[in-house]
Amino acid sequence: MLLIFFIFSIILCLSVFLLKKKIITNLLSKIFLAAHSFISINAYLKINQFDSPYYKFDSLAVLLSFVLSILSVATFYHSYLYLKRHKVSKRQEANYYAALMMLITAMTSAYFAENLAVLWASVEATTLLVSILIFYEHTEEALEATWKYLFICSVGIAFAFIGILFLSMTAGNNGLTNLSISGLISIAKLMDPLWLKISFLLALTGFSAKMGLFPLHTVAVDAHTVAPPPISAFISTTLMNVGFLAIYRIFTIVAHTEIIDWVQNVLLIVGLLSVFMATIQLQRVNHFKRMFAFSSLEHMGIVALGLGAGGIGFYAAILHLVFHAFTKASLFYQVGQIHQFFKSYWIKDVSGYFKLNPVGGLSVLFCFISILAIPPSGLFVSEFLIFKALFINNHPFVAIAVLVLLSFIIYTILKNVLHLLYDDVPVGLNFENVKVNQYETISQFVLLSLVIYLGINPPLFFTNLINGAISVLN
Amino acid sequence: MTYLFIILYAITLIYFALSERTKKFIWLLAIQGLILFGVVFFSLNEIDIFDFIFILLETIIVKTMVVPWFLNKVRKHNQLKREHEPYVPVFYSIIVVILILMVSFLLSSYLNNGNMHTQYFTVAFTSIIFGGYFIIIHKNIFSNVVGYLIIENGIFLLSLAVGSVMPIMVNLAILLDIFMAVLILGLFINRVGDTFKSLKTEYLSKLKD
Repeated sequence: MLLIFFIFSIILCLSVFLLKKKIITNLLSKIFLAAHSFISINAYLKINQFDSPYYKFDSLAVLLSFVLSILSVATFYHSYLYLKRHKVSKRQEANYYAALMMLITAMTSAYFAENLAVLWASVEATTLLVSILIFYEHTEEALEATWKYLFICSVGIAFAFIGILFLSMTAGNNGLTNLSISGLISIAKLMDPLWLKISFLLALTGFSAKMGLFPLHTVAVDAHTVAPPPISAFISTTLMNVGFLAIYRIFTIVAHTEIIDWVQNVLLIVGLLSVFMATIQLQRVNHFKRMFAFSSLEHMGIVALGLGAGGIGFYAAILHLVFHAFTKASLFYQVGQIHQFFKSYWIKDVSGYFKLNPVGGLSVLFCFISILAIPPSGLFVSEFLIFKALFINNHPFVAIAVLVLLSFIIYTILKNVLHLLYDDVPVGLNFENVKVNQYETISQFVLLSLVIYLGINPPLFFTNLINGAISVLN
Repeated sequence: MTYLFIILYAITLIYFALSERTKKFIWLLAIQGLILFGVVFFSLNEIDIFDFIFILLETIIVKTMVVPWFLNKVRKHNQLKREHEPYVPVFYSIIVVILILMVSFLLSSYLNNGNMHTQYFTVAFTSIIFGGYFIIIHKNIFSNVVGYLIIENGIFLLSLAVGSVMPIMVNLAILLDIFMAVLILGLFINRVGDTFKSLKTEYLSKLKD
């Protein structure tokens, strides 16, 4: 099934890329979105079954695929608005959509990969495809960010490759001749702990560039800053989920070994350092998109803390990942509208948004309530559970340190948001070319409502998917 | 015979530390590709014939010919001759590469578990660490890419050192090569050179808080 989807997607992308007709691009984009949603539903119906020796419909993959399907629809819609505002040529439009479709296809391949080699190749493919989209505006800054993203991600992924090589060696010593994740889990107890530790460290470092986690988080921050807002929404959510999934797959293998405590301590350190770096950087940030990017670093740090804490923290980490995806995507979609009014992302240039666009302002307010994990946001539930896990599992000092750092983060973000919403409108602002569709905020309200609903009253299939995802750790 | 190639590979790393001319970097990369061909030819004769041909083509065609040819084209396009002022003087770089070699030797002896070719591992590990060092000490994105290719050659050697039971891993290393050569080099170095009129990394520092 997945192989057919991949071939079908490639044919659609090639058609869009070669034909360069607006009607065909629109039609094929809709067919692609329908096909992706069908794959997600089909994967749910065939949960825990193998699609081929290289792909499996496991719970975490299905959950993240649903998130991807939902955000793909919203991203295509906001991309349509973005391209319309910038009056791009048919060729540029076709290139954009073709790259976006291929990126979604590569991410789908990464989610469902049951073999570490396929996962690695899919992650490499996402790096190359997203770089085309980061460079889309062809500015000097875009070139710089794209170069750094490509180069550092490639070096990072090369290190992750070394980690997988070491894993293959220790697996080979125990008779396993492929890199199937379920196969690796089955022989995990027999593998050499030293090589497992080295493999995990290398994979964590390498894939941290994709997840936007310390130590290679900087490239993702630069990419956020210059990419078109709908692409920033994707980099900050579904692409970070790819990085998380890659790290989580290795984590599921080491979770069955004696080194699990050591691995969890590493994750606690990485999570704490991520939140710390986010706090430091946020104190001197003066660009809205960079502020959101550092907020993503903070949230990925919290996810790592959830995995490091264990117990209920595993459940909360995945919950947090899903809620963060919906909330952060909403924020980046709204950034496109803000830019329409102010023609700038610099904090000093952007103020009085509530007066200019009340509906958009309301959306910003709800987004920030949600991203700062203030009730009724679902992120409050997930963060609460992560802190609970930290205290229960004897990490009170980590929990307290993170709480202190979060206080600084909340203060800084709130200060900038209040400036954005309620300060005076800058003098001499030109509203001539402001093109804001009054319905485009609906997507953000829908996503934010989803975060509240799933946090307060999660449906059974949703909790079952998360429980299924963490059941492989036991 | 393979030991000879391994020693030659280590010598190319010392030459990388000694060199300051971009043309020499390209030659050294081509020589490394040839050495890797020799290593594959004399050591992997028991693997599947299809994998064997694939790897040979990769080392000779891609590493020895295509990538150096492409790098040379990029070098000419950007009129690069001499790598000016690396952050660390050449003399210290030679000492560093020798130190890395020694540490790698000790590490491979410590990690040896029977299934690993320690000689390959020593040089592969040296190549990876030295590649990282090479990236750090040079101010030019062209040299950064050369550093990345040194890392990548090290990974290729490492996959031979530990991946003899899994040819798919070796093929994956090839995939890394192709992506690297076609996309990073092809699309962006020239673009950076044309836009900033220089390949110095100091020009790529607009994005900050």
